[in-house]
Amino acid sequence: MKDKEIDDLLKTAARPSHEVEAVSLQRVAASLQSSMRPVHPLPPTWVLTGALALLCAAVALLGAGRAGFDGFEKMDLMQRALIFATLGVLTCLSGIWFAHEMIPGSRRWLSPGAVLGLTVLALLGVFALLFRDYHVSHFVSAGTKCLITGVIHAIPAGLLSWLVLRRGFAVNSVSAGLAAGALAGLAGVGVLELHCVNFQAIHVLVWHTAVIPVSGASGALVAWALRFRVGHGSHERTVSE
Amino acid sequence: MVIRRAGVDLTAGNGLQELSSNDPGGAKTLPFVRPEGDLESLMVRYQDGDFAAATALIDRLSPQLHRFLNAQFTSRADADDLLQETWLHIHKVRHTYRPSEPVLPWFYAIARYVRTDHYRKSIRIAARERRLEDMSKIPATGAGEPDQADSWQALLAPLPESQREVIEMLKVAGMSLEEVARATSSSLGSVKQRVHRAYKKLRETMDATGLKKRSGGWS
Repeated sequence: MKDKEIDDLLKTAARPSHEVEAVSLQRVAASLQSSMRPVHPLPPTWVLTGALALLCAAVALLGAGRAGFDGFEKMDLMQRALIFATLGVLTCLSGIWFAHEMIPGSRRWLSPGAVLGLTVLALLGVFALLFRDYHVSHFVSAGTKCLITGVIHAIPAGLLSWLVLRRGFAVNSVSAGLAAGALAGLAGVGVLELHCVNFQAIHVLVWHTAVIPVSGASGALVAWALRFRVGHGSHERTVSE
Repeated sequence: MVIRRAGVDLTAGNGLQELSSNDPGGAKTLPFVRPEGDLESLMVRYQDGDFAAATALIDRLSPQLHRFLNAQFTSRADADDLLQETWLHIHKVRHTYRPSEPVLPWFYAIARYVRTDHYRKSIRIAARERRLEDMSKIPATGAGEPDQADSWQALLAPLPESQREVIEMLKVAGMSLEEVARATSSSLGSVKQRVHRAYKKLRETMDATGLKKRSGGWS
């Protein structure tokens, strides 16, 4: 059997119109009538992305302002230019990703896992190119301190990002949580790059980059827990009714 | 079906005409012509608080949304409830539609969310009922039997859910691959792959069951 024949068969089977009882349609319309009022559509993606990027930059600058810009001062010009340009581009891309997750029917070029993976790979590439000190000292103690600092700064960035897109609607809340977490993680990495003076390659590659997957996974976990809680709550209500 | 609401004939010249059966478009031909711009203008008016536009959208889109929601293992009564729930969600988040974007993927993305949510809840309820049955040995009641599957559902029965929904959107709603990708939050490549696999599976099934084309029809 050829594709054309299958296609004909599908067209034939799909053709009969599917009837919905008029009373059902009237019931649906009546349920909307009482709350019918004008609404403002969400702003364009570039506005939302710009707001998210500015917000992440503000969180990174405030965080570094509190802790000190020691890392930024220690960097050479090339390191400053490449690292912060990369962070800026990745923040914009993650902002677009998060905005699309919060708007039903948005275009998607890559899966959420692929976007997260490419973000991490891009950062690893830039860090590997710029940091050539291969000594290792206080790997775990210094590293966990940086990871915690990054994730702590990611929390306000994530919450504020959600505030920006609170009018959106996530058809896949876990994916939206992952996007929000990854975006917030970039703000956390921004704080670390501005503040951390440990330029050992392995430290930067492992612990600074780890902020993004950890933050992304945390966002996805929170979203999953909220969805489960909401779903479970509505189920409880249904049962009690 | 001719629907008349708010003084407007919603089918005449508005996208529910069937194409002739010998339309040479192959896999890209649509079962219905649907002027997307018309739906978009209705959606914009709906966002402006125009109730007539809302009822027009309900009348226009409910049959295909109902068909989409009335999946293989969902009864017609469940599909009615899901349709109501879908429209309540659509109403609640109608501000998330942006006029420059295609409208059907937006509707289907929300319908898909409602259907998935319903599926998850039904699994939880089934698990709970099983536990209660184990405790009290009282048989479960009230669950409606699935409707008699129509030829469309029977045709798509061998396909997994992810492939079936893609075929439904392409053939029933007449969406493009790009629009299906948007509605399912997938990449275009992923949708093409699902369509390819669905056709392969259908071909295998039909060859195995000996479904052949007779003159003027299928048997």
